[in-house]
Amino acid sequence: MKYKVTHRTTYTYNYPVSVGNHIACLRPRSFSGNVLLGNQIVISPPPADLSERTDYFGNTLCFFAVQQPHKELIVESRSEVTVDGNLRRLTPETPPWELAAASLTSIQTAEGLDAYQYQFDSPRIHAQQDYAAYAHESFLPGRPMREALLDLTQRIFHDFKFDSTVTTVRTPTEDVFRKRRGVCQDFAHMQIACLRSIGIACRYVSGYLRTYPPPGRPRLVGADASHAWISAYCPGHGWFDMDPTNNVAPSDGHVTLAWGRDYGDVSPLRGLILGGGDHKLKVGVDMEPVEDSPSA
Amino acid sequence: MTGDLYRSPERDGGTYAESESAAGARTHWTGLMQTLQDLGPAELEHRWESAARRIRENGVTYNIYDDPQGANRPWQIDILPLLLPADEWRKIEAGVIQRAQLLTLLLQDLYGEQKLLTEGHFPAALLYGNPAFLHPVVGLKVPAHSYLHMLAVDLARSPDGQWWVLADRTQAPSGSGYALENRTIVSDVLPELFGESNVLRLAPFFRAQRDALTSLSRQPNPRVVLLTPGPYNETYFEHSYLAKYLDLTLVEGADLAVRNRRVYLKTVGGLEQVDVILRRVDDSFCDPLELRGDSLLGVSGLVEVVAAGNVAVANALGSGLIESAAIMPFLPGLSEHLLGEPLKLPSVATWWCGQQPALDWVLGNLEHVVIKPAFPARGMEPVFGSEIPDDKRAALLEQLRARPHDFVAQEQVALSTAPVWERNGLHQRAVVLRTYVLNTGNGWCAIPGGLVRVAEAQGSVVSMQRGGHSKDAWVLWDEPIDTFTMLRRREEPVQLRRVPTVVPSSVADNTFWLGRYVERAENLARILRSMLPRVPRAQPAELPSLLRLHGCMNMRYGRHLPNGIKRRPANFPALEKDLLSILTDAERSRSLPSTLAEVFRVGGNVRERLSADMVLLINRLHHSPKINNAASLLDHQTALTACLEQLSAFSGMERENINRGSGWLFLSIGRRLERAINLTRQLREITRPLSSNDWSYLERLLEVADSSMTYRTRYYTTLRPMPVLDVLMADDTNPRSLTFQVSHLVDLYGKLPRHSPEDLATVNKALAGLRTFDLQSIEYPAANESDAGLKRLNRFLGTLEDALLLWSNTLSTRYFSHARTLPVTIGQ
Repeated sequence: MKYKVTHRTTYTYNYPVSVGNHIACLRPRSFSGNVLLGNQIVISPPPADLSERTDYFGNTLCFFAVQQPHKELIVESRSEVTVDGNLRRLTPETPPWELAAASLTSIQTAEGLDAYQYQFDSPRIHAQQDYAAYAHESFLPGRPMREALLDLTQRIFHDFKFDSTVTTVRTPTEDVFRKRRGVCQDFAHMQIACLRSIGIACRYVSGYLRTYPPPGRPRLVGADASHAWISAYCPGHGWFDMDPTNNVAPSDGHVTLAWGRDYGDVSPLRGLILGGGDHKLKVGVDMEPVEDSPSA
Repeated sequence: MTGDLYRSPERDGGTYAESESAAGARTHWTGLMQTLQDLGPAELEHRWESAARRIRENGVTYNIYDDPQGANRPWQIDILPLLLPADEWRKIEAGVIQRAQLLTLLLQDLYGEQKLLTEGHFPAALLYGNPAFLHPVVGLKVPAHSYLHMLAVDLARSPDGQWWVLADRTQAPSGSGYALENRTIVSDVLPELFGESNVLRLAPFFRAQRDALTSLSRQPNPRVVLLTPGPYNETYFEHSYLAKYLDLTLVEGADLAVRNRRVYLKTVGGLEQVDVILRRVDDSFCDPLELRGDSLLGVSGLVEVVAAGNVAVANALGSGLIESAAIMPFLPGLSEHLLGEPLKLPSVATWWCGQQPALDWVLGNLEHVVIKPAFPARGMEPVFGSEIPDDKRAALLEQLRARPHDFVAQEQVALSTAPVWERNGLHQRAVVLRTYVLNTGNGWCAIPGGLVRVAEAQGSVVSMQRGGHSKDAWVLWDEPIDTFTMLRRREEPVQLRRVPTVVPSSVADNTFWLGRYVERAENLARILRSMLPRVPRAQPAELPSLLRLHGCMNMRYGRHLPNGIKRRPANFPALEKDLLSILTDAERSRSLPSTLAEVFRVGGNVRERLSADMVLLINRLHHSPKINNAASLLDHQTALTACLEQLSAFSGMERENINRGSGWLFLSIGRRLERAINLTRQLREITRPLSSNDWSYLERLLEVADSSMTYRTRYYTTLRPMPVLDVLMADDTNPRSLTFQVSHLVDLYGKLPRHSPEDLATVNKALAGLRTFDLQSIEYPAANESDAGLKRLNRFLGTLEDALLLWSNTLSTRYFSHARTLPVTIGQ
């Protein structure tokens, strides 16, 4: 499946901003099953300085500074990505989850070490006994990793209600766990917290989700969403993506943008500004399927 | 020195006494003991007191965050040095240098290839589980000798005489400046002993540090700054002291800005590129863009500049990673692997619970160890295993099992003791030696000695945070010593420098306000001194005239005033009450004590730019017990006179002792501006016609403006409004006149870099008006309603006051504003 994705972020300020330093994490990663064909990031007003760096997690970060007074900042990332759901599919035969968790500590391969780091606390996610207890209801002794993971995903989907009014980008997982409400970012953080609390390495994935118009209606431009889900590691089998917000294992409809330990590592656009007063943020994502091959 | 605390366990094995063994005084201590005997207790006490005075007067402080009295707490020092014989020092030196080499290689690998992880020499969990691991700086190319430009190692000596490493300070080690200050004081207190003891000097170490900092940049003449968290940091004194000593510009995060992947210092002359940053700000606070978004102490975009190789940071960003006791068990193995030699100086026995065998041992031996957080960032008080009550024991074991990699267990070392001098004689106190190693790029060098920290009482903890003392450490050398001081050697070529040092915008801001507050205090003190003797015995008729003067103090009468104080006191008791409040109420805005507190505050912010004597005066003005606690009106008069003497001394130094660079210009501009504003208010009072009862206002006014003599030499004793106005307003030969202030303002402003003629337009116009205003033609008091002369003068002075206030704002915008704007985080 091939998509043209346009991700447009607009900041509107009450007063002019004299200087703004920003980091954009807006260029999709490219890997087997999620191949980046092209990307362009357009910034207005034009930045005085722009550079790129690959971060510790392998994402491309774009650093830019706007040094002319401005009351509006627009960052638009246009990408073309091919997604192949077949390459994302979970292997059906997985070992008991305890083995997956325990063997992590002893792997010294590059891949194993890379995965191992996602087993630890990160700035926004701290392992807790409560989360472990919640996870253990799915991760029963001896249960295969894949089965347990799917079960936890569907439990979070059923136990937590989608509600965009109760949380912000800074809401801690403790609150989400208590209120049982939130948005995709909160559910992803929640599931990561549960998995890390029982020793499973798990990372936060930011990306895009294709939405479908009601039957007979045209596709609305800009109606798609910036999305988040998780990816858990099973030694010997690799990474399993799970979308607790939709209770699915991502396939052709998910485009991966970046991953990290939690939202803080991959927030799409952050920055520090001088001046500006209050600001308003508007985000619009448009995912246009370019060639319609039958969904797998 | 935050968060460290060492305690000596009470144990049967006894402790090592530095100065004596069972056989009597140790050989290298006999000289010191003899000197103490020769001097006698009275002389020692006298010297101790003079050292204490000097510390107060030099403003040597150590701030304690949690303590309300803690800000600017005087540094506590013991006058007796800890003595270390040459051979012993050689061993310590070799040990700490090897440790610095090893830790540098460790940092280099963990922030580089991470081969130690893939090859299994270092547990990955100790990296990934460490909140001090700075992901954004992995793989950045930084100068190898910036990783641990300086390392501090805390050492203790166990009962068998062996030195052990208690802790490593790897990101922004503090205390070397205090060690230097201790040396200056102690060598002055015991000059005889210091002279004959062949003590290794500290200065070569600091010279090497200056050179090492320079070598971190590829530029031929790099600009090096010392980045401080600011005056509220516990060791701010040290930052300003070191900046001065090492000839670095002292800056806060807000003084720096990133443009086009370079760091710049915002100065009154514009942006100046910075090449090297010696930082005293912790790792994660250094860049709010890439590291902690809530940090107000750092520089937005700094990491990206480091990545571009356009600035060097010492110690390198991320070096706090190994400030963790959990690495200690791995150092012997790493030393063999990386250096091919055994570790020379052992660390205190440490178990990192993240490994199963260590955890098992700790769980079974809790009573023999101290449990500490493995990562300082996690913040937790150490738990002494032997003291855990039974009911808390299970909870601790549970915690250890649940998150083992978050904990370490350490053996307690019975600290050695050294003699300290206290009022009633010599006492033995537990000591910890903090020593410093420098990476010069061409080699390593350890400070000979270091900072010795002393437990407050027998058996108590060693911690500066809890009010402990410190000591100097003397290495008694057995070869000829280098007596170099930071004053350069004669044969060394010196490049003449006439270019004034740069003035950061924030310094200009503080200096400007120092000038304004000092002048405001002086004006207040003068008015008060002129009123005080009159108030108790004045005739009722004099009240209006005194009230006019009272009005000139421009006090604020808000809601938060003590009972019974009114805007316009109706009678003498009310006036007296208000004057007393202005004299003594430090809580009241614009009162004399609160104005002096402002002087102290802004003065403290630019302490390193003032002469030592000026700092001393500022300290005295703020702390003078006479001013703060005067009991009667008479006491107040004496105190006011003393205060005015000190303020005059300050303005004398301002004229004579400060280099006429931009810093001085802002101080003078502040003073002239404040004086001009005060004068316009005082003179406007005259334009509200004086009745015959108010006439004495003129006399008071001349007194306040210190112009009575000038007036008398011209007009003898005839007191008339117009001549008074002429002397105080128009006469540009009188240094107290309004014209004099404004014309100087114009001159001074013209000397500032980046000045703009438009900004001066209104003030220049006012100056022309002052010079040409025809006072002769004004009838006083106005003969009739149609005579507009006096009203015109009143309006003119009002316009001038507005112009001056407006100009003050313009000056702020042009030179200081960017130092004040705080960045806002978005999208996080």
